[in-house]
Amino acid sequence: MYRYDEFDHKLVADRVDQFRGQVERRVSGALTEDQFKPLRLMNGVYLQLHAYMLRVAIPYGTLRSEQMRMLAHIARKYDRGYGHFTTRQNIQYNWPALDQIPDLLDELASVEMHAIQTSGNCIRNVTSDQYAGAINDEIEDPRIISEIIRQWSTFHPEFTYLPRKFKIAVTGHVNDRAAIKLHDIGIVVKQNDAGEVGYEVHVGGGQGRTPFVAKKMNAFVPKAKLLAYLEAVMRVYNMLGRRDNSYKARIKILVHETGEDEMRRLVEAEFAKIDASQMLTVPQEEIDRISAYFAPPAFETLPADSDGFTKAQTADADFARFVRANVVAHKQAGYAIVNISLKPIGGVPGDATDAQMDVIADLAEHYSLDEVRVTHEQNLVLPHVQLDDLKTVYDVLAANQLATANLGLISDQIACPGLDYCNLANARSIPLAQEISERFADLDRQYDIGELKIKISGCINACGHHHVGHIGILGVDKKGTEFYQISLGGAADENAAIGQITGRAFTEEDIVDAIETVVTTYTDLRTDGERFIDTYNRVGMEPFKERLYD
Amino acid sequence: MTDYHLVIDGATTPETWSYIDDDAPLNDAPIISLGRLKDQADALRARGGKLGVVLQADDPDKTRGKTSMGEDVHELAPYLDMLSLVSIAFPIYRNGRGYSAARVLRQELNFTGELRASGDVLYDQWAMMNRCGINAFELAGDVSLETFKTALGELSGAYQPAADQQRGALWARGK
Amino acid sequence: MAQHAAKGARFQAVTANRLSDGEVVYWAADNRWVEGFSEAEIADGADAAEALLARAMPADFEAYVLEPYLFEVLEDASFYKPASVRETIRAAGPTVRLDLGKQAGA
Ligand code: HEM
Ligand code: SF4
Repeated sequence: MYRYDEFDHKLVADRVDQFRGQVERRVSGALTEDQFKPLRLMNGVYLQLHAYMLRVAIPYGTLRSEQMRMLAHIARKYDRGYGHFTTRQNIQYNWPALDQIPDLLDELASVEMHAIQTSGNCIRNVTSDQYAGAINDEIEDPRIISEIIRQWSTFHPEFTYLPRKFKIAVTGHVNDRAAIKLHDIGIVVKQNDAGEVGYEVHVGGGQGRTPFVAKKMNAFVPKAKLLAYLEAVMRVYNMLGRRDNSYKARIKILVHETGEDEMRRLVEAEFAKIDASQMLTVPQEEIDRISAYFAPPAFETLPADSDGFTKAQTADADFARFVRANVVAHKQAGYAIVNISLKPIGGVPGDATDAQMDVIADLAEHYSLDEVRVTHEQNLVLPHVQLDDLKTVYDVLAANQLATANLGLISDQIACPGLDYCNLANARSIPLAQEISERFADLDRQYDIGELKIKISGCINACGHHHVGHIGILGVDKKGTEFYQISLGGAADENAAIGQITGRAFTEEDIVDAIETVVTTYTDLRTDGERFIDTYNRVGMEPFKERLYD
Repeated sequence: MTDYHLVIDGATTPETWSYIDDDAPLNDAPIISLGRLKDQADALRARGGKLGVVLQADDPDKTRGKTSMGEDVHELAPYLDMLSLVSIAFPIYRNGRGYSAARVLRQELNFTGELRASGDVLYDQWAMMNRCGINAFELAGDVSLETFKTALGELSGAYQPAADQQRGALWARGK
Repeated sequence: MAQHAAKGARFQAVTANRLSDGEVVYWAADNRWVEGFSEAEIADGADAAEALLARAMPADFEAYVLEPYLFEVLEDASFYKPASVRETIRAAGPTVRLDLGKQAGA
């Protein structure tokens, strides 16, 4: 994992001091709220319904155990004993006081963490694959280039007042777990015929009011030139992106209105100029230095099977289910990737208490080479667990309500905070997720239904990714009452697609029944081995519509 | 008399320029619009003497398509030999188009004259403007030079190169 | 800040979030910000509402609160309650965490 050097430490400390000054100037009246707002946003501080909210970055979703412990400490000391893990690999605290946030940030900085650029019209926290460095067949650990991008984009003087926010995601694997095609820039690590590593760059994806799947802008940008290429994309966007209407300000609209080919021409022209200057060509020594931090950890040489592990599964059916649903094969013999679901039946998706965070930190320290990962589906991962330790880890998780065996299943939903917390919401998201989870609580039924991703947003901003849910649910407001619109067929993986709306919205009373209707329509129509999304792609919207609205 | 505090290269400096409306006669050191510069280029070249231009980040007439994209900095290229000042207008601090214009002027078009930030130029943006190659600032009248210098020094380093002297940590480490 | 403009509403009150900690506050009859909705001053009619908002926003209001606005209130038997789900949640706390927010102390 990347470790700060003196330079990184100093700059983060400078930033906390700077923000402390800004808070003081706001409180003393030297700054108006209008002037302060972009500054607080650039430091992750929002105003929600009940209080401020602080969003802390977890760059490319990787945490050391001491960092997880710090997140627990902050939840206890500055908040109300919990945090919310988000779809952008951040954690949000819902109750911090403005005047305490500088102290909170000081504590975070002590473990090399910050809230820099987690909001505002700047380049946001870079996100990546939660299985980075643990999964088989990765071309290169995506966190290497993610860290380089993180540094380049931090306090970038030219790109801090962009037309709108800007999100970058990276995957190093053919299976995209980072939803890269739904980002302003999505990057796929590639290898060319000569065996060199470079990057395929997609531009102009996004959700919100007008969802778009990103367009492939360049099939192979060499490693040392990626920053030059990104700077070119950013400059074209900063100069030409719309500033007259915030709903049309994202780069997806620029790409759409300019046209893919013209956009490519503009970017290539700018890239040629920047590349010729050599200014942004990253030196090989620095690439090597950063790569070294992501070298494989000290794996032990172990047999591929573990007797104890096999026996434990036979002896404990719940454990066997957990293994089947939540454990993924590791690239190193004798190890496994363990997913921790933050979606207990009836729980709040993505929330974890301070005590749970401490437990996970301890498990990571003892059993996962000190690492924890955060996923865009609002779960956590212990990436490097020995098979021999799996049962022990499971028992601890189970004792702390962290062992729900539902990864990728219908109760593993994404839900944004919605009207319970969010200032922009039209409707509540969390209670709906809870009701759906309870309706489908029976795990055997969930296994029978199979992979099914429900994603819920409380308004069209789409923080809950509803556009790309196999089943998406969007909260709408009709005269002060909550209604919910369903969409079907979305996908956030390498086959990214935007879902289609079924028709008129459902009331709060009817929505869970409607979801059940969608699910039974699928189970009635599926052929052997078909997942929900496969059936939908085969039969289309009509059969679902008929059953929903007849 | 101006209502702003002009700081050039880190020093308080008396204003010697003035912004001239499109239909007003020129004086010794006029800052004119891009439109006038283009319309009267030949006459202006024949006139000789000091000349400055102001580049708008907002384009109320929407000359570049349906939406306001601001004035295109590249249009200054043919005239740079006659310009000793470019003033980049920031209509509101949130509109960051001017940061790119500044870097293009310095790093692509190699403009070496005075590059100014005018308009909504606030404390928390000065350091970034400076890094993008802006060397002159029209600050609000009550801002002291000391405050300006404090703002510029808030961050002790940079990760990335821009239009100033800093190379950026990604390039400077191990060197 | 769009969806709660209270056009055509008869009863309205003024709310905001406190600068120091973001707490939901209401403008009360004795010209100060209070934490409980029950102490909020209720304006009857559009003109009274405008006057109420004006009183809540003296020149230096930004030193105390963020973004004050009017919202609709309904008269229910002998007491008032916020009209929208949003303002009901602001007045009480998250519906999914009854242990948090103003409702926790109640
Ligand atoms: C109070 C809290 C929040 C506010 C005010 C907020 C605001 C917004 C807004 C305005 C957008 C639309 C941006 C646009 O279309 O240009 C957006 C998009 C988004 N937000 Fe949030 N958000 C909040 C919480 C969250 C949370 C909790 C998550 C994660 C669970 C999240 C993740 C996202 C994502 C993934 C998008 C879609 C990105 C895209 O448009 O491409 N946000 N948010
Ligand atoms: S989708 Fe809407 S309601 Fe949900 S968190 Fe985002 S802005 Fe708030």
